[in-house]
Amino acid sequence: MHAKDTKRPAVLIVEDEPLLRMDAVDMIQDAGFKTYDAPSADAAIEIIGSHDDIGVLFTDIDMPGSMDGLKLAEYVRAGWPSVKILIASGVIGVGDEEMPEGSKFYAKPYATSLIIDGLRTLIAQDETNSSL
Amino acid sequence: MTGLAALADTTTGPGTDILSAVAVVAPRGRDDAVARQLLAKDGIATVSAPTLTTLSDLIAQHVGAVLITEEALNSAGAQELAHVLTSQAAWSDVPFIVLANGTSRDRSERATQKIDTLSNAVLLSRPLHAEELIRAVRSALAARVRQHEARKQLEELQRRERQLFESEAKFQAIANSVDQMIWSTLPDGYHDYYNNRWYEFTGVPHGSTDGESWNGVFHPDDQARAWELWSHSLTTGEIYEIEYRLRHHSGDYRWVLGRAQPVLDRSGTILRWYGSCTDIHEIKVAQEQRQLMLGEMNHRVKNTLAMVNVMVSQTLRLADNLPDAQTALQSRIAMMAQAHDRLIAASWAEAQMPAVVDAALAPHRTGESRFIVDGPKVEVGSKQALAVTMALHELSTNAAKYGALSNNAGKVRIRWGVADDIFTFTWEETGGPPVDAPKRRGFGSRMIEQALASYFHGSVELSFKPKGLCFTLNAPLSGLL
Repeated sequence: MHAKDTKRPAVLIVEDEPLLRMDAVDMIQDAGFKTYDAPSADAAIEIIGSHDDIGVLFTDIDMPGSMDGLKLAEYVRAGWPSVKILIASGVIGVGDEEMPEGSKFYAKPYATSLIIDGLRTLIAQDETNSSL
Repeated sequence: MTGLAALADTTTGPGTDILSAVAVVAPRGRDDAVARQLLAKDGIATVSAPTLTTLSDLIAQHVGAVLITEEALNSAGAQELAHVLTSQAAWSDVPFIVLANGTSRDRSERATQKIDTLSNAVLLSRPLHAEELIRAVRSALAARVRQHEARKQLEELQRRERQLFESEAKFQAIANSVDQMIWSTLPDGYHDYYNNRWYEFTGVPHGSTDGESWNGVFHPDDQARAWELWSHSLTTGEIYEIEYRLRHHSGDYRWVLGRAQPVLDRSGTILRWYGSCTDIHEIKVAQEQRQLMLGEMNHRVKNTLAMVNVMVSQTLRLADNLPDAQTALQSRIAMMAQAHDRLIAASWAEAQMPAVVDAALAPHRTGESRFIVDGPKVEVGSKQALAVTMALHELSTNAAKYGALSNNAGKVRIRWGVADDIFTFTWEETGGPPVDAPKRRGFGSRMIEQALASYFHGSVELSFKPKGLCFTLNAPLSGLL
């Protein structure tokens, strides 16, 4: 059993729009995080399954393929419950009951600072809990 | 009271009103003169009828009453008289006053029969009593006046019946010629009238939607709501207005606007409801499509703003100073705006090469033929068109600052084509100043290597050869749209 890894978790960015994905990667890398990125839920699941340093999922909702972002979030929460979840979307009116517990929602277009703050908050919670 | 002197005036003069005059049929001896004198004294107009034929004439002219001696009844022209009597108009029944000879005991059977043929007659015995005669005549004339009044009323009723008939015909013509369904109900809501348009639209048999069975031709999902609203209007008298789906004779349901208002009597009680149904299906469908389009537009605007957000974020993170950042940012936003204009022109669906290339290069052309553009007509999707536009903008800006467009001799060669189901697009710079690979990847190169390749589901090679920058995109045909 490993000791709790206090290294910063990597962030998996899921966004089907190439430019937005590229920018999101930049934004999160600039904040000091390692990133993985995927254009669809299917690709994202492959990545999270083969890398164990991912601690955060940052996903869009509207995506082509077998799953949309909300379903992906559910899937990841079920299989990797310790992974934090942030959801960003242009779709309005997403209710709390549709998102995994503890996950955060951001309307697009979003301000970088908001996302990074949210990211840091979620991770800090974990660190607080782990020190108990 | 007229004196004897005025006798002449009350006999047959041009001004005598036949309708209120008494025909005197007393040809024997002085009977006629005596009778007429008596009546004249009381202001009653008279006219002599020496024969039954003359009398028949007068009766045809609706003479007021007839004073006739028993023996005159037996004279010639009796048949004509009988005929004229039975031919009277329905309202007319000329009264007879018969001056009898003696009593019924003395009368012959024949004479009795004659009197019996007159259905409207009184008998006065002779010698005449002035008062009896006058009263009998006045009574007869009064009855006649009532007959005329009845006649007027009858004619008035007939006139109104005709008017009603015409009015009804006019209503039917109007109600059935307008391009609206019209209906009407009793105060309790019982539907008892629909115009032809209703039956033409619904195709239901005449009368089958009377009463409350109209509810059945409404769409099942609208029935309860319509019923509730209608009941409310019936109770309160408020105008009924509702949009609902009505079953067309084709079997489809069409959107219809139903409206009705009550007609009240003087005391405010509802007499009837009159309503109409207007086919609003086309309008409704157009409205729904407009809503969809607005939703679409909103979605696209959000996407565009997200892109602008990226432009801002990317420009600022790499800018050396604010003025440079502003220039770069504004030129990128301007490029996006132009790209959108083209896309709108192509209805946001597809755009074509070479139009996309030409438009993207337009702001960078200097009139010195530095660009060589070559390639066939190829359709690309809107996202791909935008990506190419961005890429060309970045490449041109870069070329103008550091590459082939920054000196007097450099050229840019742009080519594209399809071979073996692979789409290839190249940008080659030649004749510019010597090229060094940049230490820091700017937004342009990153955008091209990552985003552009991804939009086309293909691969990109960006190389900084000493002779000039070279960029190649390879993509499967499936990635173009």
